[in-house]
Amino acid sequence: MIRHPLAWCAWATAALAVAFIDRNPYLQALLLLVVINVFLPYRGAPRLGSWKFGLALALVPVLFSAALSRFGQHLLFTLPPIPIIGGRWTLDAVAFGASTGLALLLTVAVFGVLQTTVRSADLVAILPRPLYRAGTTVALALAFAPKTVAAFVSIQEARRLRGQRTGWRSAPDLLLPLLLTTLERALQYGESLDARGFGSGRRSRYRPFGWTIPDVLLLLASLTSIVALVWWPALSYNPYVNLAPNVPGPQSLLTIALLALPAVTGSLARLDHAHHHV
Amino acid sequence: MTARLSAAGAAAFAAALLAAHPAHAAVHHAALVIQHSGGTLLTRCVAFAEAQITGLQLIERARVEYQAQQFGSMGSAMCQLDREPSTVPSGCFGSGPYWQYFHRQGEGWRASTVGASSSVLHDGDVDGWRYAAGTNQTPGNVAFAAVCGAPVAPAAASRAPRATASVRPAPNQTTAVAAAPTATTSLEALATSASPSPKAVLASTGPPGQPPRATAMVSWLALGGAVLLLLGLGAVNLRRRGP
Repeated sequence: MIRHPLAWCAWATAALAVAFIDRNPYLQALLLLVVINVFLPYRGAPRLGSWKFGLALALVPVLFSAALSRFGQHLLFTLPPIPIIGGRWTLDAVAFGASTGLALLLTVAVFGVLQTTVRSADLVAILPRPLYRAGTTVALALAFAPKTVAAFVSIQEARRLRGQRTGWRSAPDLLLPLLLTTLERALQYGESLDARGFGSGRRSRYRPFGWTIPDVLLLLASLTSIVALVWWPALSYNPYVNLAPNVPGPQSLLTIALLALPAVTGSLARLDHAHHHV
Repeated sequence: MTARLSAAGAAAFAAALLAAHPAHAAVHHAALVIQHSGGTLLTRCVAFAEAQITGLQLIERARVEYQAQQFGSMGSAMCQLDREPSTVPSGCFGSGPYWQYFHRQGEGWRASTVGASSSVLHDGDVDGWRYAAGTNQTPGNVAFAAVCGAPVAPAAASRAPRATASVRPAPNQTTAVAAAPTATTSLEALATSASPSPKAVLASTGPPGQPPRATAMVSWLALGGAVLLLLGLGAVNLRRRGP
């Protein structure tokens, strides 16, 4: 299995570059298939929340583009002159929004894979020394957000169990315990950092990262993918010019196929694991 | 066994990708028509090997001097084309005339809805530019055949020698436009232009090869193969439990 955080970062960079530079829907769909395939061997407990969030995020640009853009030749319908949304609604605008939305969905999916495969502590550990403190602070801040949401939900559930109202009118009553919980957690984080000697001197590692063959292969494949993307730039998909996307060329397919390497190595590693157990 | 089959499938897919010819095998032509404020008309025929190029690439390959400003996904606006205006106004546009961009459609011109860097040209397309004030000031009525000659039959095109992408001299290189207010032909105006001579030849962009339909079929097959491989891999991974 691929473990090195740097290899995964290179993979994520290459995947995001493919998602945003070449907005061809065929390539985006293929990349989504690749990302799902990479996710499958490393998956833990199913987390539908991230996918729901990604899908919701993907729908927003479609709505915005369709409602606000008046360009395009393929007319869907015409609304009466209502402010902002009135006028021509075109298929071209919907396609443009869908392409943007798919790129956002891919971003969520790529970071979902990164979250599954790499520990945030490992990511912080590979940072150069000048960035270590800033990286730790950012990692802690990012970790704070889901914990705050979880605390909010648990406070809400506790109130519901006591038969108290939970609507938006109860927000002031919710905020105070949430603030206290968050402050308490922040203090715990501070004490925990202090106990670990954060910022006192040179860092030590219990388990230094080693480069395995799959790690090196993934790094090389990701770099090759980025180079290929720069070397063979394709015309970016623009539905306002040509609604039907072009069939991707062999170079574009090769660029994406390289990103499927973790899916193949993950599958083979699990196969070996199964053999050892037999 | 499954691992060997997966490896063989991946190797076959990679070999198919490497063996496939690039999508830019055939030689295509697009015409460029530029009408200056004085009525002088500059036409260029540009050959390209790709299936399509942008309007800006057409200008670049015709070796016509230009300065453009990018406006996001809507493409670039033309600030200066073929040394007109002599100095580029600050912010690209001045208060007077500006470069208006058109595509040839049927017997007339259609105003482009996007900038030159976002417009797409295929074989036989014509792009028109006119430096004028007011809206919809179209260039002169110049057809593709007048610039690039009669279109070549596909069979004849496939027998063509290993050609290079080139700028072909247009038959009516310096013809005046009937609709233009000053319709006098001006060779001097062209002489001061930074554009290349009509006989200038651009660098090669690839030899002619198989017809585009066959290339598209290969691309579709490669895409289908990739999807099938990924679905197969996904099915294998789904059957196993997580680590």
